[in-house]
Amino acid sequence: MTAIYKRELRSYFKNPVGYIFLSAFIFFASLMFVFINLNSQQTSLSGFFSNVSLIFVFVIPVLTMRLFSEERKSKTDQLLLTAPVRVTDIVFGKFLAAATVLLIGVVATMLFIPIMERYGTPDVTESLVGYFGLLLMGLLFVSLGMFMSSITESQVIAAVSTLVIIFFLWFIGGLSLQFSEMLTGWLSWLGKFLDWLLDFISINNRFYDFTLGTLNLVPVFYFVSLTGLFVFLTIRVIERRRWK
Amino acid sequence: MVEIKNLSKKYGDKLAVDSISFTVKQGEILGFLGPNGAGKSTTMNILTGYLSATSGEVSIDGYDILDNPVEAKKRIGYLPEHPPLYMDMTVWEYLDFVYDLKKVTEDREAHLDSICETVKLTDVKDRLIANLSKGYKQRVGLAQALIGNPEVLILDEPTVGLDPKQIIEIRSVIKQLGRDHTVILSSHILQEVNAICERVIIINKGRLVASDTPENLGKSISNENKFQLRVAGDERSILDVLEPVAGIQYIKSLGRKEAGSIDFIIEAAPNVDVRTPIFNALAAASLPILSLQTMDLSLEEIFLEVTKGQAVAEAGEVDEDEIELVNMPAAAAAVKEAAEKEEEGADLHDSNL
Repeated sequence: MTAIYKRELRSYFKNPVGYIFLSAFIFFASLMFVFINLNSQQTSLSGFFSNVSLIFVFVIPVLTMRLFSEERKSKTDQLLLTAPVRVTDIVFGKFLAAATVLLIGVVATMLFIPIMERYGTPDVTESLVGYFGLLLMGLLFVSLGMFMSSITESQVIAAVSTLVIIFFLWFIGGLSLQFSEMLTGWLSWLGKFLDWLLDFISINNRFYDFTLGTLNLVPVFYFVSLTGLFVFLTIRVIERRRWK
Repeated sequence: MVEIKNLSKKYGDKLAVDSISFTVKQGEILGFLGPNGAGKSTTMNILTGYLSATSGEVSIDGYDILDNPVEAKKRIGYLPEHPPLYMDMTVWEYLDFVYDLKKVTEDREAHLDSICETVKLTDVKDRLIANLSKGYKQRVGLAQALIGNPEVLILDEPTVGLDPKQIIEIRSVIKQLGRDHTVILSSHILQEVNAICERVIIINKGRLVASDTPENLGKSISNENKFQLRVAGDERSILDVLEPVAGIQYIKSLGRKEAGSIDFIIEAAPNVDVRTPIFNALAAASLPILSLQTMDLSLEEIFLEVTKGQAVAEAGEVDEDEIELVNMPAAAAAVKEAAEKEEEGADLHDSNL
C-alpha cells in the first residue's frame, strides 16, 4: 500500500494535475474569502464554507480522473494486479494519495484564520469544525471520483461524470422544499417522501451543520459511510473485472 | 512448479481458452506457441492472476492463484505483451517502485544494480521511461519481472517489435535466466521458440494441439531417412550413379537450383543409412556432392500443419475425438499427408518441364 501511495502522490506533482488542482482550489477559495469575509468584514467563515464547496464540484474531478482509468489505458494495471498485493491495498493507496493532495489544499486555506485574527476575533473552534466538514465532504467526492475512474478507461468520461454527479448532489437540496407544495391531497405522502429523500441525498444539507460550527454525529456518519461505500465499490469493480 | 488443469476462459459467448492442461517443471523453459488470437495472452494473464478463469485451476509452486493469490504472485515475474511502464518515471524510480510494490527483502541497491546489469540498463537508468526506445522499454519490462528473484518468469512475446540485434540480445538474456528460473515464454515466431525453449506447447483457437521438445516435434513428423542432395554434374549421369545404390527407395529431381548442379530428394529404406554409399558412389564417378542434409520439417511447417489439421477437424471432416486427444501421432499424420501432397505437386511440376 505504501508503495502505491508514494508513487501516486509523487505522480500528482510530476504531472500538472496536482498543481492545477491546488492552484485552482486555493485561488478560488481565496477569492471567496476576500469577497465574503474581508470585504464585508465578516469574521464567521460559515458563508465562506457554504460557497467553497462549489469549488470542489469543479476541481475534485481533476484530482480523481486518472486514478484508475489511466492505469487501465496504459496497461500498468497489469503490474499492480499481478504483484503480490491485495486489491484493497491498491485502492486504499490511491485513495489516500488523492486525499493527501486534498488535505494540502484544505490546510492551505486554513491560513484564513490567522489572517482574520490579525484584524478581529473569529471563532476558531467554529472555523475548525467547518474545515473538518469541508475535508469530509472532499473525501466523499474523492471516493466518488475514484469510483467513476475505475469504471472507465477514459479520463474525460471519468471527470465529466464525476462532475455531473457531484453537481447534482450539490444543488439537489435546493429543490427539496417544493414537492410537498406541488403534491397535495392524497399524494401528499409522496411529496413528503420525495422531500425527505432529496434532503437526505443532498450533500449540501448534510454539510450545513458544519458550516455553522456544529459538530453532529449524524452528518459525520453520513459522509464517512458514503465515502466507505464508494471505496468498497471501487474494490469490487476492480476485482470483478478479472471475471469478464 | 506451474500446474494448469482444465483451464477455460469465456469472453461472453466466445471461448478464448478451451480446457488447457499442462505442467511446467522447475528450471524448464517452456515455449508457448500459437498464431495471433490463439489464446496465448489470455492464458498468461490467467496464470499471473490478472484474469480469472471461467473454470479450471492454476497453481504456482503448490499455491492456488485464486485461493492464495499473494503467495502465488510472489513467485511470479510477469512481462505482459505491453510492458506496464509509467512514462513519467525514470528507469531507476520505476524499478525502485516495483521493488517496494513486491515487498522485496534483498538489499535494494545491490539487487536493482544486478538486474540492470543483467538486462543492460545501467546506462539509461536515470532517463525518463517515456524517452526510451522500444527496445529499452522492453528491457525495463523484463527488469521489472526479475525484481524479487521470482522462481517463475512468464514472458509474453518478449521480443516483439525489437530489431534483430536486440532480439538476439534479449534471447540470450532469457536463455541465461533459464538456468535458475522456470520460464514460460510465448511467441508466434518459431525460430525463437526453437532457439530458446526446451519444450514447446502449441495452441490454436484456445486448444492445446501439441506438446513436445522442438527436436522431437521435428523428428516425429519428418521422415528421418529423407535427404536433400545437391550434386555438381548433369542430371542423367547423376541418376545413373544413384539408382543402383542399395537402400535408396525413391529419388526425385528438383532441377537446377545452383549453376552446374542438380538438387534431388532421396528417400531411403527405414533404418538404412545411405549417406556413405551415396558419397562413395558419387565420388567414384567424380561427381562432387555440394550439400547433403536431412529434411526435418521446420517448426514453422509443423506448426502450420498442426493448426491446419485442427481447422479440418473443426470443419467436421475428421472425427472430433481424435483431435481432442492432444497427441503427436494425429498431428504427425496430418503433416505427413500434407508433405506428400506437396511432393505430388512437385512431381507434376517436373513432368511439365
